[in-house]
Amino acid sequence: MKISVDTGKCVSSGQCVLLAPETFDQNEDDGTVVLLADEPPAGERDAARQAELTCPAAAIRLAEA
Amino acid sequence: MTTTEETPRLPFARADALAIAPDYEALRRQAPVSRVLTPAGDPAWLVTSFEEAKEIFRDKRFGRSHPAPEQASRISHAAIQDGPSGDFDTEEQEHKRMRRMLAPAFSAPRMRALGDRIEELTTRCLDDMRAAHDAHPGEPVNLTELLAFPLPVLVICELLGVPFDDREHFRNLSERIAVMDGGADAQAAMTEFKDYMTGLADAKRANPQADVISDMVAVQADDPTFTDDDLARMGAGLLFAGHETTSTRIAMGVLFLLTDTARRDRFAADPEGEVNQTVEEILRMTATSGTGLLRYAHEDVEVAGTRIMRGDAVLISSDAANRDAAAFADPDEFDPGRTPNVHLAFGTGAHVCIGANLARTELRTVFPALFRAFPQMRLAVGLDDIAVRVNRVAGGVDRVPVTW
Ligand code: SF4
Repeated sequence: MKISVDTGKCVSSGQCVLLAPETFDQNEDDGTVVLLADEPPAGERDAARQAELTCPAAAIRLAEA
Repeated sequence: MTTTEETPRLPFARADALAIAPDYEALRRQAPVSRVLTPAGDPAWLVTSFEEAKEIFRDKRFGRSHPAPEQASRISHAAIQDGPSGDFDTEEQEHKRMRRMLAPAFSAPRMRALGDRIEELTTRCLDDMRAAHDAHPGEPVNLTELLAFPLPVLVICELLGVPFDDREHFRNLSERIAVMDGGADAQAAMTEFKDYMTGLADAKRANPQADVISDMVAVQADDPTFTDDDLARMGAGLLFAGHETTSTRIAMGVLFLLTDTARRDRFAADPEGEVNQTVEEILRMTATSGTGLLRYAHEDVEVAGTRIMRGDAVLISSDAANRDAAAFADPDEFDPGRTPNVHLAFGTGAHVCIGANLARTELRTVFPALFRAFPQMRLAVGLDDIAVRVNRVAGGVDRVPVTW
């Protein structure tokens, strides 16, 4: 599973970070998404998928490898 | 709908606090978007289906301002979500400024840092519940008054930098601005609320702290187009939003968990393991406002075959969308096992609730703490005795009497 984020679209809602904290983080200054792992840790795959679907800006993409 | 039928008028009646009005489903069966009358009696579109709700939330052709505000449909006679807000020409720009200013304070890292403090405040509220129980053994404890209300208020006070001691004052103002037929009194309360915020902003200007009002004052120093009135309105909005929204979710979450003993026991047996999924399900199922979130079309837009004209009011019912069988299997069943559980409790798109992370952090703290403290808690009255507030913008329930 490969993840990509579009920081240009991100609206800094931080929902991804709360859902999958080992996969995503937020920049301290403007809150935009920071990708911690381009592949979610095994225990966080469902959470990463939920983050993709929940992201209000549709800024997260998951691709099955 | 045939022309002989009357246009339905919001808000719709519901059977009890945990249900949503059956009218939503009846309307959705006919179309994703329906013609309704607002509580104020004006025409609007009501969105009841999940897909279209999501689509409109994400569509930049809908906003909170109106091209000709004096002609806009009014929603209610409260002083918030009552009609258009902001300036048609500068709305997007102002919204961006607001998000930029507030995003760091509400970000997930900041919420993580606030987590311990939220634990402490929760413990304090639980101690108060225990004390009330011990002082009058056998009598029910009102969970709304001792936990669901004070906790979110304590937290938002800390975050914004508002003195908790002023709570009776701003609780009163928060209640008055949100009365749907409040009229002149709601407007007067809004003026008082802004005056209160202006006073706080003046104090922070002289003596800045690590809080959101101080952040706003700092932004204002660099950006004179962010007026005192903008600042006061935004501060009042944030303080108001910290009141009833999370408070309602805490009260309703307790109701969902207590109305089924097996459900309660399952949660109490493993609160840490169950909490995230349970919180999402509480968020999905809690029916709040009787109207939904307000948008105005900024151009003519076609949604699912319906032509929405520039200036039309659109009410997006997250309550209804979150129970759309096309998006959620057995939508009226409380099932924390749903995965993924992508609901619209916070809206979505550029206007997604800025307090979503704060609310999630509070809810993820409060339920495990509550059921660890009182695993045998039960409702002290029947569900039918829990009155739903129909005349309030954010809905909610007045009391949740519990015992253990
Ligand atoms: S959920 Fe989407 S919009 Fe929110 S911070 Fe993550 S990437 Fe950005």
